[in-house]
Amino acid sequence: MISRINQGFSPRVASRAPWAAVILTALVVLAPAITAQTATPASAKTATPAHKHAAADTAAPGAPVKTIGNRNAPITMEVFSDYQCPSCGSFFENTLRAMIQDYVAQGKVYLVHHDFPLQMHTYSGQAARWANAAAMIGQFQDVDAALFDNQAKWPVDGDIEKYVSAAMSPANFKRVQGILKGCTAAPPTSKADRTAPQPDPGCPVDPYIVQDIVLGYQVPVQATPTFIIHYKGQSYPASSGIITWPILKQFFDTLLSQ
Amino acid sequence: MTPNETRGNLARTLLLFGRLALAAIFLFAAYAKLKPQAATGWSGSSIKTSLSLFAMQVDSYQLLPPQLVSPAAHFLPPFELFLGLWLLSGVLLRYASLITTLLLGAFFAVMVRTYMAGLEINCGCFGPGERLGPLTLLRDGSLLALALAVAIAAFMQGRKSRTEPAPVAHVSAPQRAD
Repeated sequence: MISRINQGFSPRVASRAPWAAVILTALVVLAPAITAQTATPASAKTATPAHKHAAADTAAPGAPVKTIGNRNAPITMEVFSDYQCPSCGSFFENTLRAMIQDYVAQGKVYLVHHDFPLQMHTYSGQAARWANAAAMIGQFQDVDAALFDNQAKWPVDGDIEKYVSAAMSPANFKRVQGILKGCTAAPPTSKADRTAPQPDPGCPVDPYIVQDIVLGYQVPVQATPTFIIHYKGQSYPASSGIITWPILKQFFDTLLSQ
Repeated sequence: MTPNETRGNLARTLLLFGRLALAAIFLFAAYAKLKPQAATGWSGSSIKTSLSLFAMQVDSYQLLPPQLVSPAAHFLPPFELFLGLWLLSGVLLRYASLITTLLLGAFFAVMVRTYMAGLEINCGCFGPGERLGPLTLLRDGSLLALALAVAIAAFMQGRKSRTEPAPVAHVSAPQRAD
């Protein structure tokens, strides 16, 4: 077929214009995809889950523990999330909740939460502060769930405290309030220019939020929720958006059957 | 060379390079979806994992029910591979280019719908790691236009070859008259 078509070429027609057009089109069309394929995201370059790089910091006394499940589970899933983002709320309610009850409870998956509060959300930075403070006293899972469960309510007036207090005992709530006492400046949020936000010097949780945001820039997190899955020392490319639990479970089963 | 001949040659050039470009794009798309997504070698297991990862990207479009996501994700990459090889072979090009145009049209429609709905997801067009945005829409729109042009050229070429006598007949006819 190629040779039959080539018989019709004259040197003039087979001159440079069509070639140049085709090559240019191919370059324009394929360049971003090839770049995306060849450029390895920071998350995939390393076999070490991103949360383990911060081990030195998080091992410090009082560091927030924003993880759920057994650290030795074969699969680690890191989720970059914003408490005020509707997709993150939907992802938590429809996917992560089922995953926590099923594969996290069975010791198959270790879930690591990273804060990536977006600048466009008025209260997501403050919500991250509450979650980190709760994580400092081992109450992360309950507060994490309470913030997502009431995502339609607290952004209305910014009264996050009400829902955090309902998720723990009064004594624990007092401890959390005490941690956040010095947080007076605006909370850190991710920035469009990808510069590290400034933590409030008086706020003990802000450095941990900033640390998560900077980690998110390295992935790179382009939208929330974004998650990375690690298995047997391998990191899989970051995915964004809402994935249903049956499909995520299928991916885990594929990994576990290897 | 007459303007008609020039046009004919240009159409043939478009047909050849257009279908080769589309073939390359489809083969690359299939490769990107099937290749090992972690630092492992090619194996049946790595392909299965890659297809499961691709299923998550299909799922993120929130278009199909979960029971259809996996069949779609397991069908598309091998079909893209088949289509790429078909386009490369040039056999029954009219049908190959028509199917390519319909497939790219469907992809483009789904992508536009998803983008308009404000979903911030990975495109999944050439494997993981590429966000769906204006540039991916522009790229897929350009591919659709190219596929449409190739399909039109292939159909015109086919019609022309059915209605016009072959060039050999023009040469041999006067000889027979003599």
